[in-house]
Amino acid sequence: MSLPNSDSMPTADGSSGVPNLEALYRAHAPTVARWAAKLSGPGADIEDLVHEIFLVARRRLPEFRGDAKVTTWLYRITERVALDHRRKDRFRRWFPLARQIEIEGTISPPHLTPVDELERRQSTETVYRMLDRMPDKYRTVLILFELEELSGEEIAALTGLKLATIWVHLHRARERFLVEMRRVSRRST
Amino acid sequence: MKQPRETHVDERTPIRERWIAQPPGASDEAVAGALLRSAAMVRPFGGKELAEVGARLRSKERFRPRPLVWQLAIAACLVLFGSALSAAVLYVLRAPTRSQQELPVAQPASKPVRHASLGTARPTAPIPPPATDPLPEPAVTPALPAPVRPSRAVAIREKLAAPVQPASASPEPTLAPVPAAGPSSLAQESRLLARALAKLRQEGDAEQALAILDEHRAEFGASGALLPEANATRIEALLRMGRYSQALALLDAQALIANGAGREMLVARAELRADKGRRVSALHDFDLLLRADAPADSVVERALYGRAVCRGKVGSWIGARNDFERYLATFPDGKFADKARAAMKQ
Repeated sequence: MSLPNSDSMPTADGSSGVPNLEALYRAHAPTVARWAAKLSGPGADIEDLVHEIFLVARRRLPEFRGDAKVTTWLYRITERVALDHRRKDRFRRWFPLARQIEIEGTISPPHLTPVDELERRQSTETVYRMLDRMPDKYRTVLILFELEELSGEEIAALTGLKLATIWVHLHRARERFLVEMRRVSRRST
Repeated sequence: MKQPRETHVDERTPIRERWIAQPPGASDEAVAGALLRSAAMVRPFGGKELAEVGARLRSKERFRPRPLVWQLAIAACLVLFGSALSAAVLYVLRAPTRSQQELPVAQPASKPVRHASLGTARPTAPIPPPATDPLPEPAVTPALPAPVRPSRAVAIREKLAAPVQPASASPEPTLAPVPAAGPSSLAQESRLLARALAKLRQEGDAEQALAILDEHRAEFGASGALLPEANATRIEALLRMGRYSQALALLDAQALIANGAGREMLVARAELRADKGRRVSALHDFDLLLRADAPADSVVERALYGRAVCRGKVGSWIGARNDFERYLATFPDGKFADKARAAMKQ
């Protein structure tokens, strides 16, 4: 999926003036929701995350000087909020009573049977367990490239990293993913 | 010494093929692709969710406790618990020492009982319970009040509650409800859109239509009452001009549903995604269009053929064959019928 077209901050009165959160929300909420879902993994309440992201965006709107694209700015907020969510989730794992095992935010193609659906959910959980064992920089790039289907150039634009760095991270992320996959495979056999 | 340098050079090589688009197989990459495909589909953030979160943002709902609050509360509990435990342990460990220190002191014979009781009763006394409560469950609302600075919280609440101020009066942006377009502005929007549509559909001048739409954007921004229609027209114009990447970028940002006019846009997005090699996303769109109750029209025709091709490219041969068969059964004289037959022969 590619990035939204509008790179300028939406304003209430057209091209100039005070940035308008309502317009920002309308233009970018679906994209932000997709990023949040992919970055935070299964079990995340996407509505809550989107709410939180736009609350942060509202707080920081006055600081937005237009040096970066609005998508880049929003992506960075999303990444930080998703990271916070993952930290909380990691913490919750120490408290079994508080941990809610649920897979939300994913959809299943209409032709899947319940068994297929269960398998798919388990696969999703496995994928995110493997991704969670990676450093964040590799995890993010792999998610954006494989799950969000962004090109290297688009990832570079979003994250603010150089294109060459993106490729390095992606190569390493792939290596680590394969290592993790083999480890999981060995453990399950 | 050469090995790291070669690795370094290799690592900078652009990757064009995604694992997720790999056909099923036994190789590690194919297995990884299959795993990742399962995680790639997320529930679309549709109009209902969009409206709900928008309403929450607009409402005066109190902010949720921030993670920092939790972290501080938990840290405080841990510190208190740790302190209490350390104190108890120290108390227990030091008690015999104290009694030993006191032993050499010559005591009057009449008071041995008191020392004996002190020396034995203290170490065996139960460890006092920690002064703190057990660690709170993180999922519930914290008992501690959120340490939001009162002035800030009040200011935010007041700001949310305040009516919309002119831009010059309020430096901090507020989440104002979308200004209701008055009859005159709506009429103006309608006129602009009608002009754009006439240029696009009657005169076939997509470039001019786009210029009018830019005028609309400059005039009404993203708060125009006819923004969805303007977006749809813009997409149509971009497609006619062959600016597919821009059209796709705009389509990607839309929360589309497989109903009414949304179907046309959804099928266009699916085709563009498939064309860009984003087959998993394309398949997702095609699946939405090909639900059981979908009418057998041109949209379904395109979706059926598109899904068959995508399935073939990701190695789902049986699925592709099923779709081609369904296509030929439903649209025997369809515009892709020859291609479908050729694919079936292969």
